[in-house]
Amino acid sequence: MENADVFTGLHEFLERMRQPSASDFVKSIKSFIVSFTNNSPDPERDSAAVQNFFAQMEVDFRVHPLWAGCSEEELDSAGEGLEKYVMTKLFTRVFASLPDDVKLDNILHEKMALVQQFIRPENLDIQAPFQNETSWLLAQKELQKINMYKAPRDKLVCILNCCKVINNLLLNASIASNENPPGADEFLPVLIYVTLKANPPQLHSNLLYIQRYRRQSRLVAEAAYFFTNMLSVESFISNIDAKALSMDETEFEKNMESARAILSGLSTDLNSQPNQSDQPVNINKEPTAPPKSSKVPSLSDLEDKGAALLVNDKQASQVFRQYPYLFAHVGDLTVNDVEDLLNNYKQLVFKYVCLSKGLGDSAPSLPLKSSETQDRQHAETAKQQDHTRAAEPNDGPSKDTDRKDDGSNTGSLFEVESLESKLSEDQTVAPQDSKHEESSQSQLS
Amino acid sequence: MGCSSSLPDRGSGRLVGPNVENGGAADAKNLRVKLVLLGDSGVGKSCIVLRFVRGQFDPTSKVTVGASFLSQTIALQDSTTVKFEIWDTAGQERYAALAPLYYRGAAVAVIVYDITSPESFNKAQYWVKELQKHGTPDIVLALVGNKADLHEKREVSVQDGMGYAEKNGMFFIETSAKTADNINLLFEEIAKRLPRPALSSSSSIQNP
Repeated sequence: MENADVFTGLHEFLERMRQPSASDFVKSIKSFIVSFTNNSPDPERDSAAVQNFFAQMEVDFRVHPLWAGCSEEELDSAGEGLEKYVMTKLFTRVFASLPDDVKLDNILHEKMALVQQFIRPENLDIQAPFQNETSWLLAQKELQKINMYKAPRDKLVCILNCCKVINNLLLNASIASNENPPGADEFLPVLIYVTLKANPPQLHSNLLYIQRYRRQSRLVAEAAYFFTNMLSVESFISNIDAKALSMDETEFEKNMESARAILSGLSTDLNSQPNQSDQPVNINKEPTAPPKSSKVPSLSDLEDKGAALLVNDKQASQVFRQYPYLFAHVGDLTVNDVEDLLNNYKQLVFKYVCLSKGLGDSAPSLPLKSSETQDRQHAETAKQQDHTRAAEPNDGPSKDTDRKDDGSNTGSLFEVESLESKLSEDQTVAPQDSKHEESSQSQLS
Repeated sequence: MGCSSSLPDRGSGRLVGPNVENGGAADAKNLRVKLVLLGDSGVGKSCIVLRFVRGQFDPTSKVTVGASFLSQTIALQDSTTVKFEIWDTAGQERYAALAPLYYRGAAVAVIVYDITSPESFNKAQYWVKELQKHGTPDIVLALVGNKADLHEKREVSVQDGMGYAEKNGMFFIETSAKTADNINLLFEEIAKRLPRPALSSSSSIQNP
């Protein structure tokens, strides 16, 4: 990977700002941030002011002795550090600051909550070989992290990571099924589906915020493409009607009605014990409260049954052929296989854990070696955190694992990605205004 | 069925070169160009791009998984280079209304149809009209009849494609992503047709 010097981000930037010769920069940054508190929110003007300020500062960095002899990467990193610092400070002032935007967030959120109840991959033209709802959970998880960060770049990275996971899954699916490599015909529908199911918080405001405050010269090329896809997802979802999903009008309305009933049922039933007979509609579509039955077979029963079927199945080897590594020997594998293997492994773990949870098995366990147990715990932690994510801005070790895994999955897929790992140590820190920033506070404020 | 489906190269290099402000040109000698692909689903848009990107090995180009976004640099005879940033769009009817988000700011639009599918040719004409109305002024339009290897199933004649393109002042070519026929030619011809910034003016560029 790159030189350690560039793996610094915000911390490195703040270090430089502590130098005596940086005092003019500190003064400008300080007064720029203060200037915001005096005006009422005006997105157009605010965005222009921030973009101009970043551009000017980047020009100034370039000719300042503090960065004398520095590489393009280091200057770029300084720009990232500045963006992150300034936007973390301005966040509460500029994010979702207009009542209209808050209203649109709520409308979009409700729409997704309803449509996610009945949408099927077919409604969006997702072809059968590319359908993989279990693995899409991984992509949903990336998107749902978006409110854990304040800096525009970090929010953007959540979107890019989501897209990356989808691309990987589509590519694997295309190879497995001998389909053409996936293009936008395959990608966009899955992104829409994943977004609907993830229902990320304040999607509208998050997208506007990235558009306005991510440094424009960095929102280009691949990042711009995938960001545009997310904008187009928002647009599509806001306009979803019967026609957009190839449903007839009455069916669509009926589905929306049922979804509303389910949602209102959910919120009232949360306090009392859920009683199925109290819920008049579509209990079988209710995802969080599967009908309870004492007849649900245990996992090991199912496993035994499946094993018995396989033993008698002459086509069994066909089935296993779908799993490319099952018959591999260590000597056959190359470093290039690690990515695929890891992907396969993650899909497997997720599928298994989800199935286990679905069956009500409280402590699913794969026969793992002790070194693997950690990974399993991460997967489970990650799943549990689905419920508490919004409340916990810092989800600790499991996040770190996710980040590292994502990085190894795709190398330098996105141009911002190398910065991802660079800043990851700051990410948990910055949104909470703790240490690094507090200590610099004495100089920067 | 349009193109082979082996794994794209995993090799990757860092994006080099200066960051430029949003827009086309990096400088007069090294253009950076946004190219948007439009056309019905299944006409082979992504296969054309994959063929183009894989066919020419360039260690500095980033190769990513999937083909919805790819970039590729080509060198022209006059020692200039053109870096294409290729934006694929979903071709299904239900997503047609989203296209403006993608072709906004594009310097080139490649509109693809399948020579075995008259419906896809109709759809291509729809995109031509839409881009003439709402595309970037000066946008370079190319009409591409893909799957030219499937002669025996041909339903759109070369004359029809060429005639329509001529009437609308577009570049026209038939390609086969499967056999790689005319794929490189397509992009070279587009590169030649790009409006060149005057050699002296590179003022809009960020200083290196």
